[in-house]
Amino acid sequence: MTRPDNREASHLRAMHCSLGQLNRADGSAQFTAQNTSVVCGVFGPVEAKVYEEKLDRAVVEVKFRSDIGSSTTKDKWVESAIRSTFEREILAHQHPRTLVQINIQLRESDGSVDSAAINATSLALVDAGIPLKSMISAATCAVLSDDVVVVDPTQEEIDAARSVHTFAFANPVSDSNKQGPLYVDSRGNFTMDEYNHCYDLCVLAAERVLAFMRTAIEGKVTKEAKINTT
Amino acid sequence: MVETGQAAAAVAMQTFERIHPVEFQRRFLGQNTRHTGREFNQFRALKVIKGAISTAQGSATVRLGNTTVVCGIKAEVCEPDVKRPTAGYLTTNVELSPMCSARFRAGAPSDEAQVASEHIYRLSMHLLDLTSLCIESGKAAWSLSADIVCLKHDGNVVDAAVIALVAAIEDLRLPRAEFDSATGVVSADKEALGHVDVKKRLFPATFVLVDDLCVVADADDAEEQMATASLLVVMDGEGKLVNLWKRGAGVISREAVEQCVERARERMSEIAKVLD
Repeated sequence: MTRPDNREASHLRAMHCSLGQLNRADGSAQFTAQNTSVVCGVFGPVEAKVYEEKLDRAVVEVKFRSDIGSSTTKDKWVESAIRSTFEREILAHQHPRTLVQINIQLRESDGSVDSAAINATSLALVDAGIPLKSMISAATCAVLSDDVVVVDPTQEEIDAARSVHTFAFANPVSDSNKQGPLYVDSRGNFTMDEYNHCYDLCVLAAERVLAFMRTAIEGKVTKEAKINTT
Repeated sequence: MVETGQAAAAVAMQTFERIHPVEFQRRFLGQNTRHTGREFNQFRALKVIKGAISTAQGSATVRLGNTTVVCGIKAEVCEPDVKRPTAGYLTTNVELSPMCSARFRAGAPSDEAQVASEHIYRLSMHLLDLTSLCIESGKAAWSLSADIVCLKHDGNVVDAAVIALVAAIEDLRLPRAEFDSATGVVSADKEALGHVDVKKRLFPATFVLVDDLCVVADADDAEEQMATASLLVVMDGEGKLVNLWKRGAGVISREAVEQCVERARERMSEIAKVLD
């Protein structure tokens, strides 16, 4: 079986990320997997509006903008997915009566957008120095009509797929058998066996994504340390 | 004397519930029960009334305990999308008005309502084959708009809304429409009403992790307020999964998810019985 981009079924697309590109945001990151690219800018902790502030913790607000068209309920759906994933991973109690604003802009979409958005958000939050319980990484896989399971599907593969599964895990991902996933969205027509198979594949993929994100952060931190010492 | 004692105890309990809602729930959960006396995996009584609204082409009222939703479907003829000339439309809208709960404000739909609308819209793609709504390829097709209005919000509105949508689609009767290619006018024979083919029935079951402690089925409003995670399982009639949607940071272990899916499988036949 060959995939449209000649990848192996279990291979992720080449990832690329850069941190701190937006100079006015407190933290930012761009996460790219070939033709899927997401930019995330984080502001926070900043002053919350009086009517939304919480006395004991920070409020997390997520704004998602699609690459084309105006804001739709689809974007609201992604916002709610990301908010529910990060709301409790952010140590909000350390910053009561403040707001953490997460702005996500989709630059290019070619499948696996939800997981790319989660990965970009995770990187941007780290870049902004927002205290997190753990880093979150996400992965998507799809069951094609001939029962082949592919990791990190492109839009073409998603359109032809029988079911699509997106999982997000907290770090360490290897704990996920006990801890379970942070976020799941499995859709289509599938059995529990297929779900479990996709789960296992996504655990491995999320682990690789996390390792990649770590190197990116390490790279940035060592670079900054060098500048500070010279 | 005994009666007044009991009444006083009831008042004290109500006061406790009002003042310390979280602690109130915890006392029950700690004893492995729920404040309504339900089992952890027990759903509330479900009641479906098809065709409740005579002015809509298809409608249904669903009661799930104290949660009540009404779904009405309006059918209009319109031009199909250029990209899909043989497909009709099905749009869904969930309305959570201030009437159903004090948590909602009048005005623009809340995020919760928009997310529910979008999710049900995504699910509805499995319900109908949109090409069955075609009248004349590229010229005319049925556009169905399903409005789901919540009348009483006592938790688990998504389950109720999905069941209402399925029941309303099954209740839907469309007049036989014909396209006159000479005049470009669609004429409908209102005497000859026909059902729409349902591709798949959807059977939802929502489970909620309350206070990071226990997974309960079909949470009511009080339990939902304490929820740290929720899991929606949607089955088709054959026991295959259509959707598994977990949100919130609370831990629902892999085994717990499997148990929920098993329970959802049983729930499937419970709902099917009520729908028929």
